[in-house]
Parts: sequence; structure tokens; C-alpha cells
Amino acid sequence: MRVRIVLRYVAFIFLLNAAFLLISAVISGFNADEAFFPLFYGFLIAGLFAVFPLVFVPPARDISNKEGLAIVITSWFFSCLLGVIPYILWGGEFTFTNAWFESVSGYTTTGSSILTNIEALPLGLLFWRSATHWIGGIGIIIFVLAVLPPLGISRIVLYRAEMSHQAVHNFRLRAGQAVQILLYVYVGLTVLETLALLLCGMNLFDAVTHSFATIATGGFSPKNASIAHYHSTSIEVVVMLFMVLSGIHFGLLFAAVAGKIQDLWKSVVLRYYLIALGVGIVITTIAVHGGLFSSWAGALRYAAFQIISIGTSTGFATTDSSVWPALAQLLLIFFTLQCACAGSTSGGIKVDRVVIFAKSIVRNIRHIQHPKAVFVTKMGATKLDDSTLHFSSLYISLYIGIVFISALLLTALGVDALSAFSGSAATMGNVGPGLGTVGSISNFAHIPSLGKWILTATMLLGRLEIYGLIIFFMVETWR
Amino acid sequence: MGLRAKILIGFLILSSMLLIAGVWSVYELSTIGSSVQKLLDDNYKSINAAKTMMEALEREDSATLLLLLGNWEEGREIMAEADLSFRKGLETAQTNITEQDEAATVELIWLQYDTYQGLLKKPIVGTTREGNLNWYFQKVQTAFLNVRGAVEKLMALNDQAMYETASDLQNRANRAIMPGIVAIAAAVLFSVMFNYFVNYYMVSPLIKITRGIEEFAKSGKSFDVRVETNDEIADLASTVSALSSQVRAEEKRK
Repeated sequence: MRVRIVLRYVAFIFLLNAAFLLISAVISGFNADEAFFPLFYGFLIAGLFAVFPLVFVPPARDISNKEGLAIVITSWFFSCLLGVIPYILWGGEFTFTNAWFESVSGYTTTGSSILTNIEALPLGLLFWRSATHWIGGIGIIIFVLAVLPPLGISRIVLYRAEMSHQAVHNFRLRAGQAVQILLYVYVGLTVLETLALLLCGMNLFDAVTHSFATIATGGFSPKNASIAHYHSTSIEVVVMLFMVLSGIHFGLLFAAVAGKIQDLWKSVVLRYYLIALGVGIVITTIAVHGGLFSSWAGALRYAAFQIISIGTSTGFATTDSSVWPALAQLLLIFFTLQCACAGSTSGGIKVDRVVIFAKSIVRNIRHIQHPKAVFVTKMGATKLDDSTLHFSSLYISLYIGIVFISALLLTALGVDALSAFSGSAATMGNVGPGLGTVGSISNFAHIPSLGKWILTATMLLGRLEIYGLIIFFMVETWR
Repeated sequence: MGLRAKILIGFLILSSMLLIAGVWSVYELSTIGSSVQKLLDDNYKSINAAKTMMEALEREDSATLLLLLGNWEEGREIMAEADLSFRKGLETAQTNITEQDEAATVELIWLQYDTYQGLLKKPIVGTTREGNLNWYFQKVQTAFLNVRGAVEKLMALNDQAMYETASDLQNRANRAIMPGIVAIAAAVLFSVMFNYFVNYYMVSPLIKITRGIEEFAKSGKSFDVRVETNDEIADLASTVSALSSQVRAEEKRK
């Protein structure tokens, strides 16, 4: 492994972070708030660390798979570390552990927070907090590749290391094209949502930060009460629409915009994704009607928002779902585990794997009934081979296993079972809020320090889809 | 980019990181200094004034009891001294209005004290008020408690502000320390990276060039050292390569 090449590419990530830190510092400067120096110093460190490898290391036309993986993992790690700097320099509620939690939660688009008073943060720091979502949402590497000069084989290696395996399988496009599509859709959705929120009466700062958090399916809001702060149905509708769109495979969205709108409904995954959300909303509306919300319209409004927010791994809130009936809470846990489509900014197991898993179960049942028959499993027109079926089942088992281990460790630290399990599932799926003491209007401030480190590890494992991080730490990678 | 420029950039980055962290720490420390001064000027002075007023009030109350017992001379003497002391404290508080609601509280003290003094200025000894405990408990003590309550409010206001300033001081101390810690951590990381680059792009090529020259000198093996960078070391390698080719050509010609 050529460490110098890894350092050169990580330098591009530092440049990207430096650009957003500078924008945040400028916002802070305009508002004359106390976050200017923390943000500006963060910008300087990021900039200086970026410049040096670029000066020393000549560009490489070819990078190996191992180097690609190392670039992706170290980029995530160093970005999260860099994200800590403005927080710890500003102080307040940010100890090193809290700053690390907030930074990892931002970059991995989890949206879980340790802040008890978000509105006490200066505007510059709030912008930086949302920007970490936006940078992380698209996947740092893809972002940089889109603006880098053509790299030939290097671009494909980095793209494969960064993208979800399932998303790469689904794209069936050349990496360069896929990166461009991702970027067009990502920026386009962000601009559209910002304009829509401005039309709904939100101010520019809130519109931009909420758009960053929505399109990245993050969930950081600059308001303590999240979206509930605005008491506006139109804002909730706009945010719900863009949360749903951000959970769809970006390639499909691009195809729809390019005129192939029929492609949307042809996709089995998308059909399942939308139907699952619809069914979830209906059942939850029925479950919360009466006791918590007297009118059907009110029950539908809050149920739809919470189910879409959790089902797309965003994590915004309009009500306290930790007081909802057990049926509604179990549905929320299901969506926390499943989340949205591969090829979007969503986290979690992903709808694609759930569909493949279901097809795999059906195939096994049919195989038991007819042991000598040969069955072909398809997803749309694509034939799914045995390794894909096996890989998806294995991934889901490993995923749930990690959530369980994380929950066990948290309960050993004194966290109650519901908060520990839902918190672990919410961080692993990059969703944000769980249930119990880490519910939609609560935060993670009270979790013991060691627990916060466990949860940040699950956030990174979830964001990097488990295998990437595990392979990186295996000795063979470094040989 | 040349070697000199690369090394210069490295040292400039290192020194600028430390310099900025140092300047910022000094700035935050000077802010702590001014915050401490603010704490003393704004709140401590008002709390002291409130304490003076409280002590004076207690003495005025004792003087009232002496007057009720018919001890005119001693009672009036203590009363005059305490009144002077109270007014001095009140004057200090009036000239040190720094917190929100402080002006209104001082105004309230003044009004309540005026009412209290209005009761005590009238003769007590030799009048129907002498020994009249009902009058004392119903009128004087109520007025006394009102003044004391207003003074306590002033004290609490400044205590709270003092606590907030102290909390802010803790945050500022943290801000003064943190740039140094971040700069040290960044400098250590940067030094490791700088050392790696210097070793890989400067020292290693020089060793390779030296070995290549030694092998050429010993066994006449052709000099073939590849240097990745485009700097003085690359120039040195190509010059040595050209020289070795010339020597070999010269030897062949001989």
C-alpha cells in the first residue's frame, strides 16, 4: 500500500472540508458571533494539511483496490476528526467525546445529537453542523471525484469502495457517469427544497440548513424542536416530499427527470419502498388516532411525518414518538432497521436487501417443496445469482448482530433496554432518534461517554456498510 | 516545485499553526483578564454595597428598639450613623448599575427606605410610640422587611450575574487552552507526515543515487535510478545518469 497516494487523495477531502469551514467562518464573521475563530482555525488546519501532500506527492494514474478502500476509510475518519475542531474550540457543551459524537453523527448523516440547547450555538457553527451532513450525504469520495480531473481507473476504484455494493449493482452505469448523476440529483434536490422552504416562509439560513439535512437524510435542525418549531403544515409537506425523494435511488430520479418517468414504477424496489411507507403511515395513523390525536387529519399529519422521517433515515421530528402506542413504536423500529433505497443518501439495511431477502425466503420455501426443481430469482429483469442472495442474508444477519451487541454494551453501562436497542438501531442505520430516553425530542447527552464511543462506532459501521470498515482493519489490507 | 520551496512550505505551515494558536490563546487570556475585571467592577462592588446596606439596616433596627425602650441618646446616635452608612451603600449601588433590572431594584430600595425612614424620623421617646410593640410590629418591622427584601434582591441579582460571569470564565479558559492542544496535536501529525515525505522524496532518492553511483564505480553497472518528483533531486539523478552514459561512451571509444 502506497501511503503517500492515500495521503494525496485524503488531501482533496481536506480541501473540500476547508471550503465549507471557510463558508461557515464567513457566515460567523457576518453575524459577529463567537464561532468565527474556531471555524477559521479549523479552515486553516484543513487547508494546510491539504496543501502539503498535494505539493509533495505527484498525481497517480492508477490506484489499487486496497488503496481505494484505505482512501475512503481514512477520509471518513479524518473528516470526522476535522469536524471535531470547531466544536471543541468553541466549548460550551462540547467535550472531546461530545464533539466527536456530533461530528461523526453529522458526517455519517445520522443526526443524533448531544446538544440540549441547539439554539445556543452561533449561526456559523450551526451552518457547519448542517454542512457536515451535506458533505457526508453524498459520500465524501464521490463528491471529490466529481470535481477532480479524470483519473481513469482510479475513479472507478474509489467509486466502488465508497458506494453501497447494492447501489453499484443497480446503477449499471460507468462510474464517471454515475458520479455525475449523483451530483446533479443531489445539488438539484437541495436547491429545489431550499426554494420550496423559502416559499413556505422559512428564512434563508433555516431553509439552506434544513435542505442540507433533508437531502443528506441527516436530521440536524438548527432549532431545538426540529421541524415542530415552525408549526407549519406546508413546511412539513415540503420536508416530507423531499425526504421521500432523497430515499429513492438517485439514478432512478435522474432517469425520471430525463424523461423516463415509467422507469420509476418499473422498479420493484421503489414500488416496495413507497408501498411500505404507505402501509406504515396508514397503520400508524390508526394506532395513534384517538388517544394522542383526536382528529384523523392530525393523526395522519404526525404519523406520516414520523414514518417518512424514520423510514428514509432522516430523523426530523414534529412530535414525541416515545409516548406513542407499542404498535406504532414497533413500526418505527422496523423502519429504523430497513430505511430506504440503495443508491440514495439513506442508511440502514436498505429496501433492496429486504426485497432480496424476501425473495430468498420464497425461493427456499419453494425449494423445500420441490427439491429437484431449479428456480431463477429475479429483481425486475435482472437475474439474482446465489452469491447476491447469500450476501444480502449475511449482511442483514451481521447488521442485526451488531445492533444487538451495541445494545448489550449500552445496557451494561446502565442505559435502559428500549433506549439502548432503539439508540443502537438508530445510529447503525444513520437514522438519528430512537425511542425511550433517546426519542425524537430528546438527545444523547445523558448516554455515558463510553456509550457515545460505542454509538459512533456503529454509525461508522452503518455508513460504511460494515464490510468496508472490517476489511480495512484486517492485516492483509496493509500488506 | 523545488526542494527549497517544499521545505520552506513545510516549516511555514508548522510555524503558522503554532503562531495562530498562540495569538488566539493570548487573545482569549486577555479576554479572561477583562472578564475578571468586569466581575470585580460590575458585581462585587454592588454586592459589597448591598452588604453595607444590610448591616446598616440591622443597626437601624437595633436603634429603633433602643428608642422604644426610651434610650433616646444612644438610639438616635446609632440611628444617625447607620443611616449615613446605608445612604453611602445606596449611593455606591446607584453609581454601579450594570445588570438588567438593577436600576429598578435600586429605585425600589430607595422608595422602601424612604418609607422606613419616614416612620423613624418622628419622635418615639416620650410619645405614645414608646414601648408600643404593636406599632413596631405592624408598621416599622413591615417597612424594615420591605427594605431588606429589596436589598436582598439587589444582592441576588449580582450573585446570579457573578455566577454567569464565572461560568463564562470557565468556558473562556477552555477556549484559551484548546487552540494550544489542537495546535500541538496537529503539529505532531504534521511532523510525522513531513518526516515521511522528506524521507521518501528526499533521503531515499539520495541513498538510491549514492548506491547507483557506487555500483557504477565498482562494477560499471549502468546508472538507472528513477525519481518520482520533479525537483533538484530529479535533476541530480538525470545529471548523474548523463555523466555515467558519457563515461561509458568514453570508455567504449577508448
